[in-house]
Amino acid sequence: MVAITVPEVDYTEYTNRQLVAVPLALLAVALLVVVGWYVVTGAPANLGLEFTGGTELRLDVDGENPREQIDGAFSTEPATVQQVAADGTFVVTFQEGSVTTSQLEAEATDAGFDIRTIDSVSPSFGTDTGLLALGGVVAAFVGMSVLIFVMFRSFVPSLAVVISAFSDVMIPLAMMNLLGIDLSLGTIAALLMLIGYSVDSDILLNNSILRRSGSFYESTSRAMRTGVTMTLTSISAMAVMTVLAWLFGIQIMTAIGLILVIGLLADLMNTYLLNVSLLRWHVYEGVRR
Amino acid sequence: MIDWLKSNWRVTMLVVFVLLAAFALFSPTIGADDETLGEESQQVQTITNLRYGLDLAGGTRIRAPLIGNTAEDVDFGDDSEAQVAAAVAGELSDTDTTDVIARQETPDRSATVEVVNPDIDRDQFRAAMDAAGYEYAEVRDGVTEPTREEAIEVLSGKVNQAGLSGSTVQQVSSGTGEFFILIEVPGQDRQDVVELIEDRGNVRVDLYHDNDGDGEYDTERAVLTREDFQSISTATQNDRSGPHVPVTVRQSSAEQFRQAAVDTGLAQGGSRCTYEQNPNGTEPCLLLVVDDQVVNSFGMDPGLGASIESGDWVRDSSFILTTTSFEEAQRVAINLRAGALPAQLDLQGGTDSYISPTQGESFRTDALLIGILSVLAVAGVVFLRYREPKVAAPMILTAFSEVLILLGFAAYLGYPLDLAVIAGFIAVIGTGVDDLIIIADEVMSEGDVSSRTVFDSRFKKAFWVIGVAAATTILAMSPLAVLSLGDLRGFAIFTILGVLVGVLITRPAYGDILRHLLTDR
Repeated sequence: MVAITVPEVDYTEYTNRQLVAVPLALLAVALLVVVGWYVVTGAPANLGLEFTGGTELRLDVDGENPREQIDGAFSTEPATVQQVAADGTFVVTFQEGSVTTSQLEAEATDAGFDIRTIDSVSPSFGTDTGLLALGGVVAAFVGMSVLIFVMFRSFVPSLAVVISAFSDVMIPLAMMNLLGIDLSLGTIAALLMLIGYSVDSDILLNNSILRRSGSFYESTSRAMRTGVTMTLTSISAMAVMTVLAWLFGIQIMTAIGLILVIGLLADLMNTYLLNVSLLRWHVYEGVRR
Repeated sequence: MIDWLKSNWRVTMLVVFVLLAAFALFSPTIGADDETLGEESQQVQTITNLRYGLDLAGGTRIRAPLIGNTAEDVDFGDDSEAQVAAAVAGELSDTDTTDVIARQETPDRSATVEVVNPDIDRDQFRAAMDAAGYEYAEVRDGVTEPTREEAIEVLSGKVNQAGLSGSTVQQVSSGTGEFFILIEVPGQDRQDVVELIEDRGNVRVDLYHDNDGDGEYDTERAVLTREDFQSISTATQNDRSGPHVPVTVRQSSAEQFRQAAVDTGLAQGGSRCTYEQNPNGTEPCLLLVVDDQVVNSFGMDPGLGASIESGDWVRDSSFILTTTSFEEAQRVAINLRAGALPAQLDLQGGTDSYISPTQGESFRTDALLIGILSVLAVAGVVFLRYREPKVAAPMILTAFSEVLILLGFAAYLGYPLDLAVIAGFIAVIGTGVDDLIIIADEVMSEGDVSSRTVFDSRFKKAFWVIGVAAATTILAMSPLAVLSLGDLRGFAIFTILGVLVGVLITRPAYGDILRHLLTDR
């Protein structure tokens, strides 16, 4: 049987500067992507149907050349057509435009398609929801930061947790742009979830180093053994959910799962490179000042 | 026995909660008994008391605002509500008194005037208010709370009258303060629901006649309206009258109608209506008008005409409203029974979704499979990491009981499960196991656990981390639970509930179990 052992890292071999280089560089790249996206498109990520407005149909198409059938059936050009792996149905999306949902529904029925699902959002409703959702993410982040500062009552360790969490959210956001995943309610939920989820291992690490007996390196490796196991179990659950939900064409679960997998991977890096080195600086140099 | 229970109160509590959850899930006495599901949503009947949301059951959900503008703090002067409505309507083009709602001041709200005609914008409304001479504070978008409540009542009536049982109609607000009417109808196609609710459903009967014989036809509006009917039967169809709705006219209105029928020549010897073919040469007609559209025109049978003329009819006062199709008769009957919507729904201003029952069913099995496999993945990692069944097996069991308790909550509250809630459950298993790992590692660190005191002190330390971690998750999720962001509310609520159940019930119990297995005592 394969056993999972958490590798021991010899932190003494690396300077703080070396340790923070990788996570900070990645964070910088992520910020560049997100800010760049904002400058070019006016939003930090591509907004999905829920925020821009539009109609999505999931159709069961019988017969030859389903794609051509779909192209011929509608009076307006679909924005995207995707086939669901597990059951062969098609997910067809339309930008909000001159054609109403009722008309699209009638056209799909006339073409002989079996309509599985219809989702439609009006543009005005979508814009409001988008702003509200982003406000929610900011509020959640601020709330989390305040809580961390209150619980640890020490500036550098608290800051370390908050920076890690910030990076845990920014890296998946940048990845979404690069992978072409739209910002939807599902991905917003996943980002919020990450804020709560990813700080667990940071809290564990801080607690172990600041509040427990033992040397810095003992505490770190103890926290790491637990923390890495935790994150790995979460990643495995989310990875299974992502792959299956994608196969079944359940978008909300695919989105939540994928963002969490990316974010938790980022968290492994941020906790054990960035957070550790900030804490080491705090314990060995910051306290002496 | 009592002592054992006392010293293991955490485990005892877990067992009690698991039993309660199982009771809530499986007992036929609890749960959705107030729900008389229609035949089409009946397929969702399972052995548990769980209710499924539209995602998993199939059906239509429509969220739309009511169209209208409201003038706040209106000074009515000495005028009555009806006078104000008539005066404002008179200043607006193509606007009827049914498009203007005036509401006098009440202890909790100021006097308002609402215009629900979609073609009237706010500037026109302001101009009409000024022209009618009523002072007001401002004209804002949207309608008032009593109007929304009225609309909800009417819509509930409509879906119930249409036999769409298991439906819900409620009011939701977006975080930006806009109000929406949310209509959920299980098992029904989107098009059917839209047809049912898209019109206001204002039904009236007009009398179209030329009794002075000058060739100019007059329309006597609203000789019969909903208020004039004492009873409205269901739509029927027979060879003699075709599709129609039988109604009885109230005694108080019957005489008035009789008078109009006699004065306009409708009753004398009956009348043959040719309104559609030849509107300028027809005998008097009754027009069935829905939302200002003439949907049918009909004359009067000579027998009935004679009975009306002689006055016999007033005693019995039954009447039929004929329509061109049976579907129309059904719609008219529903509209008459449920009443007219105070304002129209803006179906292009919200969201709607439809899931076919087949798709719902496949989502159910898919989601179940995803849930089971995710749990197995977690179990796999835990076993590989600890390779000690003593530690790992109770961990998996505890995580399972957490999900069971949550399902029990869902069944007890009657909260409908949807895909987002199931994603929340999987997230809960993830965090739940994380915390159990913290407990196990903490307790087993620094060598064997020999005494209970050592165990307890380590357990306490582990719990500090768990507490803070739980607090951050709850905090991060609370915006979703509070804000009205549609589907994700369930996800957030169940993640928060899961964290609470975990911290208060299952995780302490896991500590107790682990102590028993590890200490020699």
